[in-house]
Amino acid sequence: MTEPTFFVLTALLDGPRHGYGIVAEVADLSQGRVRLKIGSLYGALDRLVGGGLIELDREEAWQGRLRRYYRLTERGRHALDAEARRLAANARLASTRLRRQSPIEGTSA
Amino acid sequence: MSRLEERYRRVLRLLPAGYRRQWEDDMVAAFLETMQTGDAETDEYLADHGRPSLAEVTSVLSLAARLRIGGPDAPPRPYAWGQAVRLAVLAGVLTQAVMATAGLGITLWLSGALSWLPAPTSEWTLVPPSSSWQATLTVAGYAWLPAFLALVLGHRRVAQAVAAIAVVPQGIAVAVEQVTGPVPLTVAPWAMLLVELLLVVAMSAFHRDAAAVARRPWLLALPVGILAVPVPLFVAQATTSALRLLDWPGLCCALVVAAMTVHLVVRAFRPPARTLPWSLALVLLATTALALRTATLPDIGGQVERTALLTVASVQIVAVLAVGVPLAVVAFRALRHLPPVSAAVEPQHTDP
Repeated sequence: MTEPTFFVLTALLDGPRHGYGIVAEVADLSQGRVRLKIGSLYGALDRLVGGGLIELDREEAWQGRLRRYYRLTERGRHALDAEARRLAANARLASTRLRRQSPIEGTSA
Repeated sequence: MSRLEERYRRVLRLLPAGYRRQWEDDMVAAFLETMQTGDAETDEYLADHGRPSLAEVTSVLSLAARLRIGGPDAPPRPYAWGQAVRLAVLAGVLTQAVMATAGLGITLWLSGALSWLPAPTSEWTLVPPSSSWQATLTVAGYAWLPAFLALVLGHRRVAQAVAAIAVVPQGIAVAVEQVTGPVPLTVAPWAMLLVELLLVVAMSAFHRDAAAVARRPWLLALPVGILAVPVPLFVAQATTSALRLLDWPGLCCALVVAAMTVHLVVRAFRPPARTLPWSLALVLLATTALALRTATLPDIGGQVERTALLTVASVQIVAVLAVGVPLAVVAFRALRHLPPVSAAVEPQHTDP
């Protein structure tokens, strides 16, 4: 799972969002580090809909345009959970090794 | 519709029609929202004078490439084109790698570095590069070998970066040599450079969705290619003066005609769907070889043996057309028989 896809799924965890809503939420979640371009966002949404990880929730009119809201499916929730566990395990592994190799600041060498 | 929206919709035309039917309005709405600043005056100005940023255009371009040059999960037609482009790129990069490796081997042999091989006879001598630019061009060209290996081993970005090492200095060397060198301006180096640049860009077809390259046959193709083409060609050109009339565009034509002939025989015994990617790939390669041959014809006019060279070039063009046109006809007919394109999966309402 790519980082943008991971953030898109995470952005949909607390409720359905429309395209721009996802862009804004991902920017917030990643503290501005991941700024999705529209082509990349819809490339990811297309894959996620195709894979059954997200689905269309509803369409709403806004300023004369139709906004499509997407929501996470149960399958998407499981995929995100599995990816989050994998990333956490990797991070734990690295942290353990880092602690083992470098002395903790403030202790004598 | 604002000018900004018009401009963005124009960019979205890069995407396949089927995909646009499903996603265009949604993409436009999201894009226009990203352009809103919250200040009415600025928003009005942007609606008239704003343009999609380079990053936005690039993201659409990259999506279009992924959809049109598809991987195994794409609909049959984009997948067939995807496979065809990838095969054509692999064949093109393999040719560059084969010629670069053979060139390096022959240079080492002539300079006496390969002492385990029989020593070259006195008439085969190493011609030193005519200028430092010529030397740069030769050395940079060797980068095609690691670029090919990286591409086959699945490191597309590395392959592109390494191939750029071959292409960029060559571009500078060609420009400097053509402007300052004693030889008159010729089309051939520029045409070759354009083909190499195309190869670097087209390596993007090996995107995330594409299947991995079959390593064994492509890695094996490297030594087989070296032994089958440049080595016998070098020996033949050194001993048979008539073969010196075969230049690089001519060699490309000869190779592609041979490959298409073999392919036409092979495809007669196999189902068309299985051979279609190679048929399309060879049509792409034949078109490139034909363009290269035609574009470099003006160079021949200035040569001493121009009558013989023009005759050979005409034969090459006729041969490519004679084999390439029938192959293109059967390939496009087979492509039309594939199921219709459905570029995107339509988002469906699912009741909770």
